[in-house]
Amino acid sequence: MTSSVQKKRARKKNITYMLFLLPGLVYLVINNYIPMMGVFIAFKNIDYAKGIFKSDWIGLQNFRFLFKTRDALIMTRNTLLYNLVFIVAGTVFAIFVAILLCELGEKLSARIFQSALILPYLLSWVIISYIVFAFLSSDTGYLNKAVLEPAGKSFVNWYGEPFYWIFILIFVFLWKSTGYQSIVYMANIAGIDSSIKEAARIDGANKLQEIRYVVLPLLKPTVVVMTLMAIGRIFYSDFGLFFQVPMDSGALYPVTQTVDTYVYRGLMKLNDIGMASAAGLYQSVVGFVLVLLSNLAVKRADPDNALF
Amino acid sequence: MNRKINSEKAFHRFAFVVLLIFAVICILPILLIVIASFTDEHVLLAEGYRFLPAQMSTMAYNYLWKQSDMMVRAYGVSILVTAAGTILSIILSTLFAYPLSRKDFKYRNFFSFFVFFTMLFSGGIVPSYMMWSRFFHMKDTIWALVVPTYLMSAFNVLLIRNFYSNNVPDALVEAARIDGASEFTIFGRVMLPLSVPVIATVALFTGLSYWNDWINGLYYINDPALYSIQNLLIRLMNNIQYLNSGAAAGALSGGMTALPSASVRMAIAVIGVIPVVLAYPFLQKYLIRGTVIGAVKG
Amino acid sequence: MKRKSLLTIGMAAVLMLSAAGCGKNPADTAGEQPAGNAKKTESTDNAEDTGSSGDVQGEYTKIVYSYWTMDRIPDEDARESVEEAINEITREKIGVEVELMPLAASEQAQKVSLAMASGEQLDIFNTVGDLNTYIANNQVYDITDLVHEYAQGAVDQVSEEFLKTTMKDGKIYAIPADKGIALAANLYYRKDIAEELKLDMDSVKGIEDLTPIYEKVAQAHPEMSALAGGAGGLEMIHTLKDFEVDYLTDSWSKPMGAVLMGDSMTVENLYASEEFKGRVELMRDWYQKGYILKDSATTTASCQETVAAGKAFSFIGNQAGNYGVQEASSMCGYEMGYIRLSQPYLDTTSVNSVTWAVSSQCKTPEKALEFLNLTYTDADVVNLIVFGLENRDYVKVSDREMVFPEGLDANTVPYTAQFSCGVVGSQFKQLVHEGTPEDNNDLMYKENHESKISPAFGFTFDSTPVKTEYTAVTNVINQYLPGLVWGSIDPATELPKFLDALKEAGMDEIIAAKQEQLDAWAAQ
Repeated sequence: MTSSVQKKRARKKNITYMLFLLPGLVYLVINNYIPMMGVFIAFKNIDYAKGIFKSDWIGLQNFRFLFKTRDALIMTRNTLLYNLVFIVAGTVFAIFVAILLCELGEKLSARIFQSALILPYLLSWVIISYIVFAFLSSDTGYLNKAVLEPAGKSFVNWYGEPFYWIFILIFVFLWKSTGYQSIVYMANIAGIDSSIKEAARIDGANKLQEIRYVVLPLLKPTVVVMTLMAIGRIFYSDFGLFFQVPMDSGALYPVTQTVDTYVYRGLMKLNDIGMASAAGLYQSVVGFVLVLLSNLAVKRADPDNALF
Repeated sequence: MNRKINSEKAFHRFAFVVLLIFAVICILPILLIVIASFTDEHVLLAEGYRFLPAQMSTMAYNYLWKQSDMMVRAYGVSILVTAAGTILSIILSTLFAYPLSRKDFKYRNFFSFFVFFTMLFSGGIVPSYMMWSRFFHMKDTIWALVVPTYLMSAFNVLLIRNFYSNNVPDALVEAARIDGASEFTIFGRVMLPLSVPVIATVALFTGLSYWNDWINGLYYINDPALYSIQNLLIRLMNNIQYLNSGAAAGALSGGMTALPSASVRMAIAVIGVIPVVLAYPFLQKYLIRGTVIGAVKG
Repeated sequence: MKRKSLLTIGMAAVLMLSAAGCGKNPADTAGEQPAGNAKKTESTDNAEDTGSSGDVQGEYTKIVYSYWTMDRIPDEDARESVEEAINEITREKIGVEVELMPLAASEQAQKVSLAMASGEQLDIFNTVGDLNTYIANNQVYDITDLVHEYAQGAVDQVSEEFLKTTMKDGKIYAIPADKGIALAANLYYRKDIAEELKLDMDSVKGIEDLTPIYEKVAQAHPEMSALAGGAGGLEMIHTLKDFEVDYLTDSWSKPMGAVLMGDSMTVENLYASEEFKGRVELMRDWYQKGYILKDSATTTASCQETVAAGKAFSFIGNQAGNYGVQEASSMCGYEMGYIRLSQPYLDTTSVNSVTWAVSSQCKTPEKALEFLNLTYTDADVVNLIVFGLENRDYVKVSDREMVFPEGLDANTVPYTAQFSCGVVGSQFKQLVHEGTPEDNNDLMYKENHESKISPAFGFTFDSTPVKTEYTAVTNVINQYLPGLVWGSIDPATELPKFLDALKEAGMDEIIAAKQEQLDAWAAQ
């Protein structure tokens, strides 16, 4: 008797919960799920006169161009390694900055610093590429003209030296995104019950210990979620960072070629939506598999923090 | 005790110095292009980018001023779209995240996955375009800038869900429930007030993505009256890049003089960022107030 | 405005319905064009739309004419007023109402594909770049049976000979834009410096002759580079036209390299040729001597900007006619002189890099062609599209010259597409900017028809069978070519690497495929 009442109540609660979900569900179905059916384009040879629905099926042919090239290894390596560095360094810097900002609290200086740190995020990649160019241009750049030249050093052809760009790209990425990412962690740190910190302090913890034993553990769930989401996109790269910032300089391809730039460079000319679609599907599937695996690992270790 | 106060002070000082350095690193490069936008065109190419150019000039801004009515209208579109989009998005996301954070919701894992999945797969632009332009007739309407793509981001939903489940004590929800509050009351009276920090954060993210968006405008807007400020900028920049790529070689015969020069491009960049820089302190105030409320009540 | 867009869609639907209904869809007879897609669009448009605007259509056929523009996209009001002025002509002449769809240059290819993939009405568009891609994707209508009946004026204007370049397997797919197509690599240089240093510019017949001149410039003006490369691409590559290179319908700006040279009908690799090697070695030599602007391979500044800033003495540009030097002078702020570095050499790409095509989904190709015909033959129509309304958007200063109204320029007039002058219809029917030399048009016309022509003129290459190789080769070329062409990488070590990379990426397959198609074409 009681169990059926409980069941009924549980069902009613589930229905109420569904009402919360309803508006979002409608949107996701229209905006994401129905258009997702469009992946079939990846398996078609698009013929505009026939329309996308009636074009011929060609199996996996659209995928060939991704693998049948000596660039396949380079672009896969670059995409994965950069993303790994971005995930690790990005998280470390963002948390570091968030802790420092919270330390300064509500002071005017904290607000000014935070504004300054988020400023780069407000710029589009096109603009950032101009900024980078202003520093690195061989003939007019600040580094060559105002730093190396007065110091009596010979100029560096920055856009022709792949080696430097491994660091330049990482720096630019951190420069743009650290302030922005730190906001996520700041909200979490600010949300930490101040009584917990107080208790730690009374127990004699110093600042570093407080961070180590109170703040970081509380940030763990957020870090896990952010990382899992990043892993889902690990086969994607920020097109602006890898294409526009290096000014599409050919000499830099060994360190700037990623899946997205390769697809863009190849398809700009061919304008083939079938092949573009195939590349997107490939990136999604790899990300999907990786994220399922890592979620599984998280679930094993710490079920509360798993993404789903 | 004394040592501890010292260590706190030292850490405080450390935080200040490090942030100061970071802030300078962030601002200086931007300053360089702001100065470039005020630099005489020829001086810019002749002596390179300098923090103290030999000759200042407002020529780039004069050039843009001639098109000020267009700029003002584009600002209007951007502000309207950003405001509407952010509000709608917050409503959808906070509602959606609530059941996902409740442990007694039977399908929470399924729906968490349902929303996360949208982050991984997409059908590309063609199906989305058909959906919004042919079924909803949004082409060349202001809705095309608000509705497609940005209204709900899986990232934001999961962020809010996490905040709900980690920062709002279950006991509080249970207590409200025992008092006989409905789920909607709990959501409105308990959840929302407690999650101001994360809502402010998500509002900032969403607002920024609306403000910086040019993709919707690119696909759905042909009428210049509905250009947002980003669309205006990106079209100028894209045309220059397109020309640089050599793709048009052979097509052009004459009329080249109308292209904006380097300092004009820098000026355009500056103009696109100024409103956000001006609006940011207000948002930030809200952010910090939000964080305070969160801390005190939590 | 929302109502307006509903109306547009409604009208499109009516057109589709009527085309499907009357059954005499010429697409049926055209072979490869199935009429089936009318059914698809029929079901996606709801009945309400069709009902509300049914009476608007009927008398006149609506044609959506999209075109490439680098100018500011005009506001709706400005555009509609121009449309109305055009319609006054077209209603009477051909029973057509036109809707103009200006597309920003950088977005045009993408937007045309998107509109077509989703089934929107778009009847006419221009193919800037690779016509073959459009043919391979079946985006363009087979107008073989219609073009002579409905657009003979346009054919006469561009000449029957040029129409060959838009053919594939005996079918005609587009009409080339009627403009100066005989591009020649010109050297533009600062006259004041040439006079100051008493440089003998007349002695220059080709790019090699520039070395002694650049040496003097470098000595006298260490603050500037003798030659600027820049935004706009790899202009040096076009001086190779001296060797009568036919790109065999690959892109003009960055040729894929599988080419014909001279009278030979054997496809070879341009980048493996001695001629190419000689040129890049020359450029490397110049680069090391400091003659070439160091940033050339990457800069975003145009050559003209660099010259204007006093940083360079000369640059190479590709132009037809002789208007280029005026323009160079006004952009550089110095009086510029010019010399030809190579003579024009016409191949298929020279002509079909800008063509006008009817969309393969067009329901009324006859009407579309009739309208296209007007853009080649009716000066009023083409001037309206390019320059807008007289006295509002421009003022005539003579029968053939225009200027912008007092106090306005290309960025502030309500409507202009002045950049598109070489794209829309016939350039020879259009007004020109004030100051254009009187013989410019005649010279362009003469060279269009008297320049040397490749033996493979008219051959178009279908790249579909080697799509994968194209992607890979494009990437290799992007990686090496700019550095080689502007001398910033050493050909002694990098050229062999470049050739190896090309081989690995499938250059040989591309050459083989081209040879095969070329042989088949020659046999016909």
